[in-house]
Amino acid sequence: MKEKEAYVDFEPQQLIMYVEKEDGTFGPIQTGSYISKNYLDDFWEKTIKLRNSLLEKLKKNEITAIYFYKTIHDFNDVELSRRTKIPVRKVKQHQKVDRFKTAKLADLQKYAYAFDIPVSNLLQAIVVEDNEKKADSDKSKQPIIVKQTRTENPFVVITKIELNK
Amino acid sequence: MIIESFKHNMAAHCESGTLTALLKHKGLEIAEPMIFGLGSGLYFGYLSRTPNLNFPMFILRTKPGKLRKKISQRTDIKFNTKRFKSQDEAEQELDGLIAKGIPVACQVDFYYMDYIPQWERVHANIHFITIVGKEGDEYLVSDSYFPKLARIHKDNLRKARFAGGYLAPKGFRYYIESVPETVNYKKLIPVAIKNTINNMIGVQPPFIGVRGIRTFAKKLQAWPKLTRDVDHLSHEIMKINVFLEDQGTGGGGFRFLYATFLRQASEILQNKELEEMSKKMMEIGDGWRNISYFAAKIGKNRDLGPEKLQELGQMINERADAEEKFYKELKLVVNKIK
Repeated sequence: MKEKEAYVDFEPQQLIMYVEKEDGTFGPIQTGSYISKNYLDDFWEKTIKLRNSLLEKLKKNEITAIYFYKTIHDFNDVELSRRTKIPVRKVKQHQKVDRFKTAKLADLQKYAYAFDIPVSNLLQAIVVEDNEKKADSDKSKQPIIVKQTRTENPFVVITKIELNK
Repeated sequence: MIIESFKHNMAAHCESGTLTALLKHKGLEIAEPMIFGLGSGLYFGYLSRTPNLNFPMFILRTKPGKLRKKISQRTDIKFNTKRFKSQDEAEQELDGLIAKGIPVACQVDFYYMDYIPQWERVHANIHFITIVGKEGDEYLVSDSYFPKLARIHKDNLRKARFAGGYLAPKGFRYYIESVPETVNYKKLIPVAIKNTINNMIGVQPPFIGVRGIRTFAKKLQAWPKLTRDVDHLSHEIMKINVFLEDQGTGGGGFRFLYATFLRQASEILQNKELEEMSKKMMEIGDGWRNISYFAAKIGKNRDLGPEKLQELGQMINERADAEEKFYKELKLVVNKIK
């Protein structure tokens, strides 16, 4: 790849590319990410669409919170089992709406750790309507901020809702 | 405290970049492409049935950790490596090493590197970072994918080092104990190149090497059957671009990095034929780059009918043909080196 063809102006995501320089030598340059510069909006669109569609199913009791977060994190059952140390058989069970309630609190704690969320979020969805269209893509533009702070109690999280000033 | 003498640099790839930075810190001047080439890092594999994967994927370099192992086997560089059962012990040991002024490379789940933009972060237990200091509850991190030194909270680092799942890091860390005064490049370069040739066109399973590239081209046609909907298919197709360009390859699926290695090797060995091969490898990389652009475009446009996937498959097959020819030629060149 020629050096002049490799430059992409995208400061938020920089990377190193190896190129053929003007003088014919090969070496590294620092540039921006091509796909993030040109297609990030498409990524967010798909992400938000998937999340909203899963949330609708969750609200209708068609899926469980375990399935919701498993899909968001792109885990399969084996990977989730390995990350939580819960047997695959039980991971499958906990994704069935009629068997979710058989999960113990200790199981939920393991799932929450793997999904990097508070345990309480497996039993609630925090939705801020005004934020929805900007969810994830640019937090600085969201009118409301939801902050969740862990406490020393592993089952209790402080959820604060603030105006984004 | 911070290890002031450690110089942070971005690198094309986290594993070779971390290794290069640590070797430089220890006094051995070596470039990232040379590490990648000497460690026979170039590879291809199409993984369709790995139990931990939600979707088939392809890999373009050898298994994480193998690069360092090859370097260790082929040179007199002495590594100190350790895995841990206890998270507390791992953290205490890390703190102790930093206090002694030793930068330490850690294997982590990339997802927890919260200084990296959110859209980049995925669960992958194959990322390498270097810890170069600690201030309060935060570690100072040299990450090849980030332009400056970053900070990570100790709780996040702990999670990242002890994430479960496929290729779980289990707290793995290494540092360099000693480096030789010189490396016998003239002896090692042909050995390393032959290893790469064997990986790509030697006797390998059908999903590895050049045969693996052809398997990828063929299996890709069935991806629509494996996806939830057109958005999911678009996401997986656009990931081809991410794997080839964005996810620490130096562009063209590591082919540009390998071309640079061949160029450096040609200079060390004063071998004009290797220089020609480096140009050819650069051109092969350009072909992979075209594939990544094409995949991004059809993914974005949701133009993912059978004809487009066949066109993409054809482009991938052309890379297989070009690479097969290339490695056969490279084999002849390297066999002549005495």
